[in-house]
Amino acid sequence: MEALGITLQQLLTQLVSFLILFFLLYKLAYGPIMGMLDSRAQKIKESLEAAENARLEAASSAERVEAEIASARIDGQKIVAEARDAASKLREQEQGRARVEVETMIERARTDIGREKDAAVEEVRKEFASLVIAAAERIVEGSLDAKSHSKLIDKVLEEGLSKRNN
Amino acid sequence: MGKLLYSPKLLAIAIAAIAALLVSVAGGALGASFGLGFLGGPIPFISIPAERVAYIGSYPLLNSTVMFWVGGFVLIFIAWRAGRNVKDIPSGWQNLMEMIYEFFSNTVDGVAGGTPKAGRRFLALVSTIFLVVMIINWVGILPGVGSIGRIESIEEWVHHHAAELEADVGASNPEYNQEQIEAAALVHLLEEHGSDTFVAFDGIFVPLGQGEQARVPLNKIVSFTDADLHEIELAIEHGDDLAHVGTLESIHHDIEAGVVKSKFTYDVGGDKETDYNFTGRTAGLLVPYFRGASTDINTTLAIAIIAMFTVQLWGFRALGVRGYGGKFLVNPITKGPIATFVGVLEAFGELTRTISFTFRLFGNMFAGEILLIAMAFLLPLIGIIPFMGLELFVGVIQAYIFAMLTLVFGVMAVASHGDHDSHAEDH
Repeated sequence: MEALGITLQQLLTQLVSFLILFFLLYKLAYGPIMGMLDSRAQKIKESLEAAENARLEAASSAERVEAEIASARIDGQKIVAEARDAASKLREQEQGRARVEVETMIERARTDIGREKDAAVEEVRKEFASLVIAAAERIVEGSLDAKSHSKLIDKVLEEGLSKRNN
Repeated sequence: MGKLLYSPKLLAIAIAAIAALLVSVAGGALGASFGLGFLGGPIPFISIPAERVAYIGSYPLLNSTVMFWVGGFVLIFIAWRAGRNVKDIPSGWQNLMEMIYEFFSNTVDGVAGGTPKAGRRFLALVSTIFLVVMIINWVGILPGVGSIGRIESIEEWVHHHAAELEADVGASNPEYNQEQIEAAALVHLLEEHGSDTFVAFDGIFVPLGQGEQARVPLNKIVSFTDADLHEIELAIEHGDDLAHVGTLESIHHDIEAGVVKSKFTYDVGGDKETDYNFTGRTAGLLVPYFRGASTDINTTLAIAIIAMFTVQLWGFRALGVRGYGGKFLVNPITKGPIATFVGVLEAFGELTRTISFTFRLFGNMFAGEILLIAMAFLLPLIGIIPFMGLELFVGVIQAYIFAMLTLVFGVMAVASHGDHDSHAEDH
């Protein structure tokens, strides 16, 4: 022992020195670093989970957006079709109404024309009858009273008109 | 080679390297045989026990303890820098410490079973052993360690060695008085160590150029003959008044002076003997102020004891007193005498491990120190460079081996022996 230099005093010195070093290292470095490594591992685990969640959420929201877009497109198409339908219906309606109006106007015009014509014809007939009567009076001076003459003339004219009409 | 000749920078480096090699060969031990050896110092006195550098009260401070604390302070500084403000994003010292700690964390978990945190209980001690052993190995090979020191004069040397002998003499001759004991111890010392060599210092430095030959035997410093010693011994036995023995007085005087008194010849091998004349120079021994802590058995033994003691503690805590103690103390009646013998062997094995721990580290580091000394002596300027690198490597490898063996022994201690348990249930 003596030749190797082992003495109890020095052995105890080194034992105590090592234990002090161990204690100081533990206090100064191992404790904080171990705590930090554990908390970092925890944090990494948490952020991985959060990232996974975010990824899932993003995927689902993308799906939702896609669905929204699809439904919006369908809606739009529907609206456009409806509008087109409504427009064409409106156009048809308008056209129908216009046609009816035109027809009524034509009808009315035709009626007016007919009435005017009848009135004119009546007038003409009256005129003509009086003219004829006046003429006939002159021709047949008094042989015939006015009444029977007009009857005669009417008959003639009637015949004449019907002939013309046929 | 062609490139070398055309590049002036490389050429200059090559010439300088060759010059350094030639100078170191000529100046080293090889050149000393041809009368050169101008760079050679004396081989330091290689002592297995660490040397005392100072006394704190009556406590002798060893140079290895000094180095242990130099390494310890380096470690504490690194630990303080690493741990004072730990951040999630590490930087600087924290990075370094974390790297080491995480490496050991993974290693202990791997060895202890592979699951995370399986080896937590081993982690602190294993990494401390690694760090402490590595740092004391490394600071132990710094330049100046083992080569800067004070001169222990002949008087001090005699005083230290005689103190040990006086105790023996006093014990075997209780009738002697103090004066007789001192004289007898001195005679024993001179008989035993008369041809021990000391270094002839030139002032406080070892003179350059004298190589290993600057060593002077004790009998050229303290002149005495066998007849003188015999005369003193007779005087002690007869109980004469020692103050009047002239030879003893002159021996004391020589010891106090501690200078080389005469020329001497030194056999350097071959058939010629060379004369050396160091007359008048102070003789003594270099006591280094610093010595690698792992080159002192006290240190390695202390760490080994802590390691093996903690291994036993782990064992008892994991398996209980009966479970772990049952490995060593086996009942010869129920289990048979062979099992008892195996148990005793196991207990002996724990002791052997402590000793192998101690001497593995001590042997490697002490041999490394001597290797560095030898290389500094053979090729003074450049010989040491590759071996410094080797010693750095050995230092970290030995630290790793120490730590890993502690871990393995610890894992073995906490592992319950399944076959033992089932045996116990069978009986």
